[in-house]
Amino acid sequence: MTAYLIRRVLQSILVVFVSAVASYVLLSFAPGGPLTGLRQITQSSRFKITEEDIARIRASFELDLNLPVRFSRWLIGVPRGPLVIGGKEYFGELVVGCRKPIEAEFLNSRGVLDVKVVGCKEEVLLKDIVGRRTSRGILFGDFGLSWSILRDRPVSDLIASRIPKTLQLIGLETLLSLLIGIPLGIYSAVKQYSNFDYIFTTLAFMGTAMPSFFFGLLFILIFSILPKNAGFTYLPAALSESIRGYTIPLIGAVVAGSLKDRTLHMILPVAVLTILNIAGWSRFIRASMLDVLRQDYVRTARAKGLSQNMVIMKHALRNALIPFVTIVVFTIPGLFGGAIITESIFSWPGMGRLYILALGSYDYPVAMALFFITAVLVVIATLLRDVLYTIVDPRIRLT
Amino acid sequence: MTVPVQMDIIKAEAITIQERSPFQVVMMRFIKHRLAMASLILMIVIFSITILAPYITSFKVDELNVNDYFLPFGAVDQPTGRVHYFGTDNIGRDYFSRVVYAGRISLTVALLSTFISEIVGILVGAISGFYGGWVDSILMRFVEFMITIPTLPLLLIISSMLLRNENLIPIPEGVLRVVGNVMLLSPKDARNAVLIVIVLAGFGWLSAAQLMRGTILSLREQTFVEASRSLGATDIWIIFKHMIPNAMAPIIVDASLNLAGFVVAEAALAFLGFGIQDPIPTWGNMLSATQTYMFDKPWLPLVPGTPIFICSLAFNYIGDGLRDALDPRLKL
Repeated sequence: MTAYLIRRVLQSILVVFVSAVASYVLLSFAPGGPLTGLRQITQSSRFKITEEDIARIRASFELDLNLPVRFSRWLIGVPRGPLVIGGKEYFGELVVGCRKPIEAEFLNSRGVLDVKVVGCKEEVLLKDIVGRRTSRGILFGDFGLSWSILRDRPVSDLIASRIPKTLQLIGLETLLSLLIGIPLGIYSAVKQYSNFDYIFTTLAFMGTAMPSFFFGLLFILIFSILPKNAGFTYLPAALSESIRGYTIPLIGAVVAGSLKDRTLHMILPVAVLTILNIAGWSRFIRASMLDVLRQDYVRTARAKGLSQNMVIMKHALRNALIPFVTIVVFTIPGLFGGAIITESIFSWPGMGRLYILALGSYDYPVAMALFFITAVLVVIATLLRDVLYTIVDPRIRLT
Repeated sequence: MTVPVQMDIIKAEAITIQERSPFQVVMMRFIKHRLAMASLILMIVIFSITILAPYITSFKVDELNVNDYFLPFGAVDQPTGRVHYFGTDNIGRDYFSRVVYAGRISLTVALLSTFISEIVGILVGAISGFYGGWVDSILMRFVEFMITIPTLPLLLIISSMLLRNENLIPIPEGVLRVVGNVMLLSPKDARNAVLIVIVLAGFGWLSAAQLMRGTILSLREQTFVEASRSLGATDIWIIFKHMIPNAMAPIIVDASLNLAGFVVAEAALAFLGFGIQDPIPTWGNMLSATQTYMFDKPWLPLVPGTPIFICSLAFNYIGDGLRDALDPRLKL
């Protein structure tokens, strides 16, 4: 067991590293980037932007450094300058990037003008980057500074302000899904092919059959816009709390930012997420319950004359829940990552929306931080799942 | 002296059951699942409509009449007398024609993605399960990791990269022409669709690989495999002749669920501004293009939203029916 754990932890570290490299490279090759629009400005005559300005802007985003150097500075905070051993500097003349690249325009295959870097006018040497501000490295818990969402403020501040909202949303949703989804799944497995099972199966499929943004929009239409226009009780559909007070028929006046206000705002997004989640989870429970109910030991339990409740709760359910552990454990990364589409639809200020915002405004330090934390959580969850398996099912041995 | 056996009498008295092939058994069970059967018929109807698209629509998909936007259902195009069955969209294109053509493209994308992802999944799962050891370790860690990272953000980055640098992945001209003919698109537009297929399939093969591996692991220890090996069968022979055919049941079910998933995933990509781009109609991009009218003209998003919903639901039911039909432990 110990040997297994050590091996798995080492593997996990490797996986996190690989995924960090992969996402970093992916982001740096993604189209756009923080310099989008700069080129247009240089071409217009109203603004005078010199080559020197561009070089300075590139330097402030570290875009003048080569990818491996940039990555290493982001991950562990080195190199910060030449290597100093015993008062002497080494590798000071090493080229680590390019301050002013030579760009050439060419026609690409679609006949559109494109720009390609063909050479370098002025190189960046290792001794030049001394004194540049840098993070201590993401491995040591420093996520660096935001580029555009909260300019020059630490990414960790941004994350800290968003996390409670996502925890609220996903936490409540997970709890409700467990409380509703498991009993529903059990019941429809025990009563397989009954009317309840058919109706419930249909409802569950409906949940998965709609794109979640469409589902969210339908909910807003049905529970917010239509009743509001008709003068009935409606639910607020955007943000996590209101800016000013409002009055809802039957519920009465609501003070902005009060508990009542925040609760009302949570109902719709939580409902959408819960319904989508129950659809998947209860199907899963139903399938594994059906599988277990056909096993010999369940038949034996029945033959011994145990009551139906006893057979289901004691013999079947416990075994049926084993594969479910996998799914529940993987809500951990979700608690952090949030729900991208649902949060966008309801303008919920959580992590999922932060992610879209970060990608859209090319705030790569924020996007990378989210990527990295999610990867770590996923790996931890995977490990936790495998260990939990041995606890809930003694037949499984880890080797 | 021997008494001649009277075969006629024996035959008449014997209780015989007509022999049924496995396929017949599965079909019989499938037909019993009424909802699955109804879904299958519904899907055949939808497929037929999309195949007949050029014959039942009277407008071209990109034929726009700028003055006639937001026409109601059943409005008549005055100069030519053609009917807009579903009215027109926000820039005056016939909505019915677009929905029908979109179905052709969306369903082809879903089918192609499913086909590719099942093939890749089968191969990876079979190799991983059959050989075990470090090959298995690496492949499965990779699969697990891919399954658990939030796919949406990754899809976003990858599809935006692919769509803006179209030549990043070279696609043979012949493939584009064939796909283009199926979707009724020019090879240039078909490239866009093929890229989305690649992106969707790139994430879709994971579940198939896991299912395949699981089945192979248990099959590997069976006596008939040992027997085959002792007769001198090669690994390739065993995998393709014994393993894969025996492990097809969960793969078929997975494929039908993937079909449902891909129809929805294409829409989700379109919602986030990626996926197949506008002049080419797909259910997903029609839905996302009209979502802003949800609150004052709700039929605009509902028209493309409904077929997504129906197809996904139907594929789910078919998958459910197949699961029950293919499960040998279930009695008739």
